Amino acid sequence: MRIKKRAAAVALLTAATVALTGCAAGSTTSAGADCAPATGKVDLTFTTWIPGMEDVAKVRNEKNPDVQVKVQTGPNGNGGTYQNFFNQLKAGNAPDLGQIEYDALPNFRVQDGLTDLAACKGVLEAKSDFVDWTWGQVNFGEDKSVYAIPQDAGPMAMFYRADLFEANNIAIPTTWDEFAVAAEKVRATGGYITNFSQSDINQFAGFVWQAGGSWFKNDGENWTVDLTSPESVKVAAYWQDLIDRDLVSTNPPWTDEWNNAYNSGSDWTWNSAAWGANSIASGAPDTAGKWSVALSPQWAAGDKAAGNWGGSSTAVFKGSKHPYEAAQFALWLNTSDEALTMLNKSANLYPAAKSGLELPALKAGVEFYGNQPIYDVFSEASDQVSPDFIWGPTMTQVYNDTSDGFKGAVTGSGTLTDALTSAQKSTISALEAQSIPVNK
Amino acid sequence: MSAPVVPLTDAPGSVARQKRSRAAKAPASKQPRQPVPHLGAILAFVLPFGTLFALFYLVPIGYAIYQSLLVIEREGTFGKATEVFGGLTQYILVFQNGPFWTSIGRVLTFGVVQVPIMLGLALLFALLLDSPLVRGKKFFRLAFFVPYAVPGVIAAIMWGYLYSPNLSPFSAVTENINFLSADLVLWAIANVVTWVFVGYNMLIIYSALLAIPTELYEAARLDGAGQVRIAWSVKIPLIMPAIILTAIFSIIGTLQLLAEPQVFRSFSSAVTSTFTPNLTVYSTSSIPNFNLAAAFSVVLALATFILSFTFLKFTQRKEVQ
Repeated sequence: MRIKKRAAAVALLTAATVALTGCAAGSTTSAGADCAPATGKVDLTFTTWIPGMEDVAKVRNEKNPDVQVKVQTGPNGNGGTYQNFFNQLKAGNAPDLGQIEYDALPNFRVQDGLTDLAACKGVLEAKSDFVDWTWGQVNFGEDKSVYAIPQDAGPMAMFYRADLFEANNIAIPTTWDEFAVAAEKVRATGGYITNFSQSDINQFAGFVWQAGGSWFKNDGENWTVDLTSPESVKVAAYWQDLIDRDLVSTNPPWTDEWNNAYNSGSDWTWNSAAWGANSIASGAPDTAGKWSVALSPQWAAGDKAAGNWGGSSTAVFKGSKHPYEAAQFALWLNTSDEALTMLNKSANLYPAAKSGLELPALKAGVEFYGNQPIYDVFSEASDQVSPDFIWGPTMTQVYNDTSDGFKGAVTGSGTLTDALTSAQKSTISALEAQSIPVNK
Repeated sequence: MSAPVVPLTDAPGSVARQKRSRAAKAPASKQPRQPVPHLGAILAFVLPFGTLFALFYLVPIGYAIYQSLLVIEREGTFGKATEVFGGLTQYILVFQNGPFWTSIGRVLTFGVVQVPIMLGLALLFALLLDSPLVRGKKFFRLAFFVPYAVPGVIAAIMWGYLYSPNLSPFSAVTENINFLSADLVLWAIANVVTWVFVGYNMLIIYSALLAIPTELYEAARLDGAGQVRIAWSVKIPLIMPAIILTAIFSIIGTLQLLAEPQVFRSFSSAVTSTFTPNLTVYSTSSIPNFNLAAAFSVVLALATFILSFTFLKFTQRKEVQ
């Protein structure tokens, strides 16, 4: 009797387990190919880490009482929000809209997390509104699909301490060779010309992008992993040399030590993206007015190439019940002067929309940078960004593994090139583990 | 260390397990089987616990095991993934994964050094609090316990600041000794964990000390024993079960280290994405490769179980001797 009861209890529990797991696994409903407006009031959720997004959503909510967008904030993408998105997608309770950087889009698409918005009104037509290479990032080169709406771009340039360069009579480097020479002179004064990012691998990817390399290829049948391309190795060797000669600092990025190195004037330049203007201003407040921005140093004198670091899009997740309203919100958010001006002001976002580049806010001088109209520089850099850089489907893993190696390299075990070689190998294994076809 | 969470969920399980085995033996000796009185009441009382236990303990474990047995199949570079049964494929990958086993070795090294130090300090403080010689007991009891009230992540951030080479208030020391370097960072983390958990373990041991009948001390004193001798020969043997309990909690917590290394990862060049087993699980699930992450978790849980169980058996045998 007792045994029977226990068996029954076990059976019941097992059944409950199966039922629960079963429903979790089976609840991947897709929005369907058509994209029709809903009738009645629609509530949308939008998860982002961009400061000031709540205020932007509020402006639109007031104008459109029938579509209310609720903004949820989290840490930046690789800092945890992507992990949350993946978990939510798996559990079937992802928000309607999400902030996704371009480099993570392939990852979300491989996980079947993105709604193709091509059928939604106005989306395909919006192509001409955006800077060409950003549209290439959201449609993966497919004319009939759109997986997200571009929001901002991160064309890279060089922030530098104009006052220090002038006071020490050091010329602003325009090539990487000059940069290395300047690095020696800066070191002689006791400072470092810049900080090499050991754990935010996006900066290094931007350097490779500028050098004309790409880390991935996708021919439709197979992925090719190219972390050890000649361009990539060239960039690695260049920075390894500066690290070996103690000409660059290696504070982990985004830490207090890192901020302090800039705030105290120990680090003189930062090769970063347009949105980086905000990071310096908030991380090194004591240096206000002393910075300027110039185009990135080039590999050969006279070249005109810029890398890109970051930039993100607004995606509609699979499972959203209102893809139409979500797509309309994403279009408004990323093309209207009103939203773009607000986002530039609150987060220094540099719009991906062509019209956004003409905003008065992006023409004015910026006080922190000695009233230099810095966005003119980024506008020039934006035109120089190659459209050929392709992101892989497991970038979080690529960054983790590369960073593990880079961390070793800056502390004297192994080199940056070793790190790329080992990340190349682990990336291929990671793709194989997910049955993603990859050339060995 | 996720110890505050893990032992709490784990402890009822192990206690329940022990009780169940005892209960199973007891009725076997009494032959005539009688209907259980108040069956309805028992069920009503057990139901809330049983439901929550099943929902938040058994089902997640079952789900993790189920996930770990699946592999992903897809066609084309952006093909839709389908999960199919893959047997032990993920487990083969786990056993082939070098960094994972290195990280297990790392936390074991950590545990062998840190757990005895932490429990030694906890025992010492508990004995001092219990001895009649110390004044201001209430104050010290609270003071030792306060670090445990600080969330682990905050403690790690705070210590990270104290360790930082240039910004630390003790930069005279940290400029010369880099606590965040590959050689020292594991012990820097051990220090944070010790700081947080000494008070917690002390309290468990201290409450065991309070349960000892005072007649025993009187008897010992009559026999001429001093405070040190009482502590060594009377108190410690009697509170051994509490010490073993804290040791098991600590072993579990050590294998499950996550929060502290995760925080340290952002400011130490020596902490990689596979520094501890749980960091490996976290990194794997952020690929996202949920199936492999589930297999890692199951193996880690088994390793934890085996280690705790071995420790328990070992210490119990010793007690009998």
